[in-house]
Amino acid sequence: MSRYDVNVLLYRLKKDAAFRERFRRDPADALSAAELTDEERAAFVRWNPRRLNELGGSLHLVLSIPDLGGHS
Amino acid sequence: MGRIVYAAAMSHVLHPPYYEKNVGPHGKRMVEELIAVVGEMGRELAARRPDALVVVADDHLNVFSFDAVPAMCVRIGRSVSRMAQQGAIEFDRALDGLADRYPLHEDLANRILEDGLEAGFDFAASWSAPLDHAFLSPLSVLHGERPMTPLVPFWVNCFVAPLPSVRRCFAAGQHIARVVANSPWNVGIIATGGLSHFPELSLARVGESDPEFDRRVVGWMERGDHASLTALTSKELHTTGSHELLNWMVLLGAVAPARARVRFFGEMGRIDLAAVECIL
Repeated sequence: MSRYDVNVLLYRLKKDAAFRERFRRDPADALSAAELTDEERAAFVRWNPRRLNELGGSLHLVLSIPDLGGHS
Repeated sequence: MGRIVYAAAMSHVLHPPYYEKNVGPHGKRMVEELIAVVGEMGRELAARRPDALVVVADDHLNVFSFDAVPAMCVRIGRSVSRMAQQGAIEFDRALDGLADRYPLHEDLANRILEDGLEAGFDFAASWSAPLDHAFLSPLSVLHGERPMTPLVPFWVNCFVAPLPSVRRCFAAGQHIARVVANSPWNVGIIATGGLSHFPELSLARVGESDPEFDRRVVGWMERGDHASLTALTSKELHTTGSHELLNWMVLLGAVAPARARVRFFGEMGRIDLAAVECIL
């Protein structure tokens, strides 16, 4: 259920300011416990919203994470 | 015997800065025109003196998480809060400055929920879900400086597949109409959400809409062609980015066979904006 894991992380990035800050500082470390494929992990670490969306990430989540939104 | 005294559907990001940023000056102007129309509609709503206002809208992964996404959910309880989102961006800025709490029409909400379960609609219930822009942006424009009508927020899952079918949403609206008819209250009902935007919920396609599809759908509403409307498939809604029409289907079911009058229709490119009023 990879789509679930991607979206749980996106949701947490949107709603949990402390986690978001930790992710901004060190994305790989913030995701160390997450169950992701290598491709998903890379899309998070390099912050590639389009790829995250293609991998099943909710459009509304990738668009609305404070300071990390999908618009570029 | 209660009755539906006002029914309308409208786009729900009534926030000029959003369109100015993402579309440009013509987007800002268009939504300002729409806001003026929705303000007039609000005065007509107020003139019908509703006891309650059912608001059918969707969640944008603000309220429900991937832990559980109800197909349809009735907000019960005595009052409801505005969604708080630290560092909110984009459309949720439409909530800035609005009141923190709003009254609910607890008795009507309970009847829609309880009679619904009795009738075979497995609605979810929430005592705590707050309202995001899908509810509060149009409600704030409709009410202006007037006190908020006691609300019955009703969520439809428009974005996390699998979605409820168009027919099921229409049937839910018919159920709401039956509950109102058996109640002592005069009730308004509005559905919110855009016409086509965000096709396939693809970030790569943000900025596209399908005006031809939207014109066809609105034409069906004007003619009261509910057979064509309820024949729409989830795939068509997804392909064209018309997911939020599911909210409008609940409204149309509640007032069928009423026709709709188009109060505003604007093709912006990124999205088509609209406001329609049902002729009761």
